[in-house]
Parts: sequence; C-alpha cells; structure tokens
Amino acid sequence: MWWIIVILLVIIVVLFLLIYVGYYNKIIRMENRIDNSWAQIDVQLRRRAELIPNLMETVKGYMKHEKEVLENVTKARSALMSAKSPQENIDADNMLTGALKSLFAVAENYPDLKANQNFLNLQDELTNTENKIAYSRQHFNDSVLSFNNTIETFPGMWFAKRMGKKTREMLQIPDAAREVPQVKF
Amino acid sequence: MEKKLLVEDHIRRNKRLTVVVCTFMALLFFCIIFAVAYIFFAGNILIGLVFALPIAIVYVAITYSFSVQTVLSAAKARPANPNVREEKLLIHRVEEMSIAAGLPMPKVYVQESEYINAFATGKKPEKSVICTTTGALRKLNQEELEGVIAHEMSHIKNHDILIATVTLGVVGAIALVAEILFWSMLWGGGGRGRRNDGNAILMILAILLVILAPIFARLTYLAISRKREYLADSSGAYLTRNPNGLAKALEKIKADHPKTKPKGSKTVAPLYISNPFKSQNISSVWSTHPPVDERIKRLRSM
Repeated sequence: MWWIIVILLVIIVVLFLLIYVGYYNKIIRMENRIDNSWAQIDVQLRRRAELIPNLMETVKGYMKHEKEVLENVTKARSALMSAKSPQENIDADNMLTGALKSLFAVAENYPDLKANQNFLNLQDELTNTENKIAYSRQHFNDSVLSFNNTIETFPGMWFAKRMGKKTREMLQIPDAAREVPQVKF
Repeated sequence: MEKKLLVEDHIRRNKRLTVVVCTFMALLFFCIIFAVAYIFFAGNILIGLVFALPIAIVYVAITYSFSVQTVLSAAKARPANPNVREEKLLIHRVEEMSIAAGLPMPKVYVQESEYINAFATGKKPEKSVICTTTGALRKLNQEELEGVIAHEMSHIKNHDILIATVTLGVVGAIALVAEILFWSMLWGGGGRGRRNDGNAILMILAILLVILAPIFARLTYLAISRKREYLADSSGAYLTRNPNGLAKALEKIKADHPKTKPKGSKTVAPLYISNPFKSQNISSVWSTHPPVDERIKRLRSM
C-alpha cells in the first residue's frame, strides 16, 4: 500500500511545483509590465518638457501681455524637470496640462499666432504627448490593478508572500486636474 | 475582471480557430486543385494527387507569407505621409492607441477613397498595419477617429487579424481557380474524359466541389467575423474609455453616401470597420458585419 501513497505524494509535489513556476512567471511578467509602462510615462513626460522651450520661443513674440500665463507654463515645466517620485512627476504634469490649457485658450485671441505654422505644429505635438501620457497612465493603472488582483487573491497571494511581493500603488489624478482651468483676460 | 477573462478566452479561441481555419482552407484548396486536375486529366486520381498536393502546400505557404502585402495592394493603400497634417494626426492617434493597448506601434497606411472606413491587417500583434481611408480623415473629427482606431487596435490585440488576413488570401485564390475552371470548361476543356463512363459521377462531384468551395470558404469566415465586431467595439471603448467616439463615427458612416463607387477589391470587405459594398442594415448569413444600428445601440448603452 505504501507505494500508492508515495506516488500520490510525488504527484502532489510535482503539481505544486508546476503551479508555483506558473505563478512565479506570471507575477514577474506582470511586475515587468508595470515597470515598462512607467518607463513609457517617463519618456513622454521628458518629451513634453523638451517641447515647452520651443513653444515659449514661438509664442513670446505674439503674447506680450500674457506674462502670468507664460510664467505658469515655465514654472510647471521646471517642477516637472525636478520631480523625483512617480506621483511628483504626475502632479507636476497635471500642473503643466492646466497651464498649457490656459495658454492655448488665450492663444485664441491672437489670430496671427494661430496662423503660425510652427505654433500649429507644436500644438499638435503637445496634444499628442498629453494624450500619450493619459493613455500610458491608464495602461499603468490597468497593469497595477491586474497585478494587485493576482497577488491579493487565492492562490496568488500565497505565492506572492513567498516571493516577497507587495501591492503597487496606482497613480492618483488630483481633483484640481479634473477642473477646467480659469482663463483671465 | 470579468471582461478581461472574456477577452483572454476570445484570444485563446482565436488562436485555435486560426489553426483550424488554415488547415481547413489548405484542405479545401487541395480538394479544388485535385478536382481541377481530375477533370483535366480524365479522371486519373494519381495525376490529380501529384498535381494537387505540392501546389496546395506551396500556395498556402505563399499566401501566408505574403498575406499582408496582398491585402494592402488589393486595397491600393500607401504609407501615411507625416508631412500632411491630417495624416500626421492619424499617426498620432495610432501612437496613442498603441500605448493604451500596450502594443508596439503598427504601421500606418492610407487608402484614397471618399468612403469613411478603416481596417487592420497583419500576421501578429507585433507586426501589424492599420489603414484608414482619406474620406475618414477628412470627415471624422479626432474623437471619432480615435474611436475607429481603438476598434482596429482591438482587432489586433484580440488576434482577429491573422485569421481574417489569411482566410481572405485563400478565399481569393479559390475564387480565382474556380473562375479559371469555369472559363476553360466553356472553351470545351476536359472533354477527353468522355470515354470513361464510370467516372461520370466523380466528375460531377468534382465540378460541384469547385462551385461550392468558395461559398463554404466564405461562410466559414463570415460566421466568425460578426461576433468579433461587437467584441472589438467594446474592447475599443475600453481602450478610450469613451464609447461615444466610435458611436458617433458609426453614425457618420451610416449617414455618408458618396457618389463614387468604393475602390479596391471586394475581397477586403470583411476587414473594414463597416462593409462599403452592402447597404448597412440588412442582416443575413452573408453580412460580414452586424447591423450598424445595433452596434451604435450597444455602444450608447455602455
């Protein structure tokens, strides 16, 4: 009789090992996906910061009376350049989004500027990076959600504990970013 | 989570179906060439086999490796030009959607056409193509264009494109062979078989097969194609978090009736976001897409 028990034990151990390997790979893959989508956000944030000086150069000649609007953009850009943690980066980026929104709203009053090919180009590019940031943020949060779900539910939570994995933070969008920025004339 | 499971199941089923359809198509194609050879060589099974086997294998292999180019040239598509603003914005929207879907950037193509339409093609998600018509670029605003691109991106993500692309290639070839056969029979080909009375039934079977094959090939594909549209609509809405964009685009497509005839081959029709060759709201076994009204209704209720 004893050999039946041995075989059963061997089967259980092998089965357990297979499941463990499966979950180990799954958890690592999911974690890599989170890191990769953060890298994506970071690339887009840098790209956006690089576009700003060009925009200021183009706009400067036309908008002589909009000092505050232009200053806000520059301020938000330097906040973005000096941001360290992911959440700091996102907060600075939200500030920049708001500042740019005001700038483009004010630009509506300058027909010459609106006709400027360079300005139009930069506006397209900035919209593109803004959307890319929004979508990579969405993808980041999706990835974090499925990672957290995996390591918090049974049996993933059991393996995650052995691997020393902890749940990740999602990126929060502050309420201020949801509001339409005020435009002063 | 429920939704995610649904999509993962769909992808798994898609991969399985791709293998089944490819095998089925290869077999079908083999039977056709066999039938053709059989008719031409007076019912000699051996000669039929010798002809059919290598041609079928080589042909399916060629269709598979050139399927993307075949589809693109059938649609008369060209790469998008980033120096034209409309096309640059299209490239931007595709970039954004590829980030949202977590996929590598597809190649972007444009087809000269008055119609509002788009399709995706490619053998795997890492090497795919998204193509829109110039009509879509002119008539849709950026929100609607985004919805359309998200729909196409979902086809790529859900592994819908390989099966569609390969099937279309083979269906096109079957139709071609059937046509060649039809004309050569009109010219009196295959007449030498007459002294073999016992093979007359086999002969009829062969001819019947040639006639039925393209119909079967098409039905197989259509049956799987319509369900995919609903799924691509909803996964597209999940990417943009804005079902209204695609709903508005579909309404525009519905209301849009250009005077010119749609360009390009009819074989590409099932790939498009909505079929340009048929009136929109008739649903039958032949429809490649579900009725537009039903799609809009489902999107609006999300």
